[in-house]
Amino acid sequence: MALQNLRVGYLFSSTGSYELVARSMLNGALLAAEEINASGLGIRLEPSVLNPGGDLSQYSALAAALLKRQIRHVVGCYTSSSRKEVIPLFEKHDALLWYPSHYEGFESSTNVIYTGAAPNQHVLPLVEYLIQHHGHRAFCVGSNYIWAWENNRILRESVTARGGSVLAERYFAVGETDFDQAIEAIIAARPSFVFLTLIGTSAYQFFRDFRVACRARGIDQAREIPVASCSLSEPELEAIGEGAVDGHLSSSVYFCSIQSPANLRFLDAYQARFPKGPTASADAEASYNAVWLLARAAAAARTDDPRAVKAEVVHQYLDAPQGRVWIDEQTYHAYLTPRIGRSNRQARFDLIGEARAPVQPDPYLVHNSSRFEATAVPSLRLVS
Amino acid sequence: MTEPRLLQNFSGGRAIVVTDRASSLDILTTSLDRLGVTTNPADIVESVAAIDLATLQPDRDVIFIDGDISDTAVLPRSAIGRLPPAPVIGLLGVSAPSRLKALMRAGATSFLRKPVHGAAVYPALFVGVNEYRRHRHLEALLEDQDRRRRGRRNLVKAIIRTMSEYGIDDDEAYDLLRRRSMKMRQTMEDMCKDLVRSSDGQEHGEFALKRKLAD
Repeated sequence: MALQNLRVGYLFSSTGSYELVARSMLNGALLAAEEINASGLGIRLEPSVLNPGGDLSQYSALAAALLKRQIRHVVGCYTSSSRKEVIPLFEKHDALLWYPSHYEGFESSTNVIYTGAAPNQHVLPLVEYLIQHHGHRAFCVGSNYIWAWENNRILRESVTARGGSVLAERYFAVGETDFDQAIEAIIAARPSFVFLTLIGTSAYQFFRDFRVACRARGIDQAREIPVASCSLSEPELEAIGEGAVDGHLSSSVYFCSIQSPANLRFLDAYQARFPKGPTASADAEASYNAVWLLARAAAAARTDDPRAVKAEVVHQYLDAPQGRVWIDEQTYHAYLTPRIGRSNRQARFDLIGEARAPVQPDPYLVHNSSRFEATAVPSLRLVS
Repeated sequence: MTEPRLLQNFSGGRAIVVTDRASSLDILTTSLDRLGVTTNPADIVESVAAIDLATLQPDRDVIFIDGDISDTAVLPRSAIGRLPPAPVIGLLGVSAPSRLKALMRAGATSFLRKPVHGAAVYPALFVGVNEYRRHRHLEALLEDQDRRRRGRRNLVKAIIRTMSEYGIDDDEAYDLLRRRSMKMRQTMEDMCKDLVRSSDGQEHGEFALKRKLAD
């Protein structure tokens, strides 16, 4: 008998320091469920929405509560630390986590479907762009967790391999908003660019303070010391505010400014359903895609059994807002289309670079990194 | 001798698995495949005796040995560092000291608990392969030190002869010899060996020490 009702958990921190992005993710997931239920696909999604509030310890408690209710598919998590917190539960219960955010890679759990960008789809294209257009001297500022550490490692390897250098790496607790010293250090060092891996409110405050500090010294920040990020999205641009919103670089597989019928349809529906925002983001699109892929795979499998759904998901091709998206059979990450955007005063991104076709995910950078770690300083000794 | 750089990308690698339970290798081989390491059916063998040692390449191959099989055959080990011909990762079912000891003796530099968990494969490869490379580097250092130690006799002889030939003290003689070894791009020991042999008249007859040092 065909599957009729599909119970699904939505686990997004719609409050807390990164609530803005998480709320847009929840919106994307909710919109997809409503569309699916009206689509005649043959199944009805029943989402149970839970909010861990950005508190790491809440993630496992709430995921356990969902799994205890026999819900076998959960769409959610934004930070890697939260994902790593819940994965053991999904493995224990043989359930599926649909992880709808870009991340730093080096993971491939058998109980996770990854619909956001892998590092070769957003980190590496940004590094390439920065080195080609802005120079070889990087200054890294990030939130103190795996996302920033690993992205900075990837950047360091790419930059040093090309004879460039990382002038400094500064890390701050998630939610920190005092960056005066770091900003002074950046202005003194005059790097070619700032590679920003701060998340949430920390990032918004940094953008504002850095712009003000540069302006006070007569520095055209966007032109002379651009800030580049792999996570900056449209709702966050709105949160940064008018004075510091433009001229930032972002690497992403989705921007609202993509001109395609599928994206225009998505944006119209999103805006109509969530007029109070937050604006759609790359992670909102990844969440929307995750729910659609889940529903299609479950419909094809005619069951919610995670193994059967997983077997079917690799046969689904989705004409998503960003373009065609499908899941790689080997890594269960998605084929996605990398893009580079520059923010404008309307809190949107102008597209300045785009891959010609969807790119195969490479979470372990097997095809995209050097065999050896980079050594910044050649090992030489004085001989006479 | 520069310490080896950490290997972090294993693509192009080949796995050889020694086990009698080839049917339970799915997670291991799938995880290795994601990392760019291939496991050919012919490379899944029941005894280390079946490994073709001639084709082993330590910078490409990794040997996984199931600690639960009773294999009387053993891998050859190097003389100084007791290193196997390629990195070995132990597959552990029973974690009793006797099994662990057997895998350590086989040269295992890391372990994977059975049933294999996909997320554990990359860390096991990373540690196992890089520890092997570090051991191999230390082995090369030891070999080099050993060779130098054996050559100290010629160094002492060369210093004494230089002192007597030039009428200088031992520090000056050492400096003179060191400068020449750097100029010749030879180790002190090798250069002194040549020097002693030629001034002994064993190799080039009438080669005078003074003329040689003046070159």
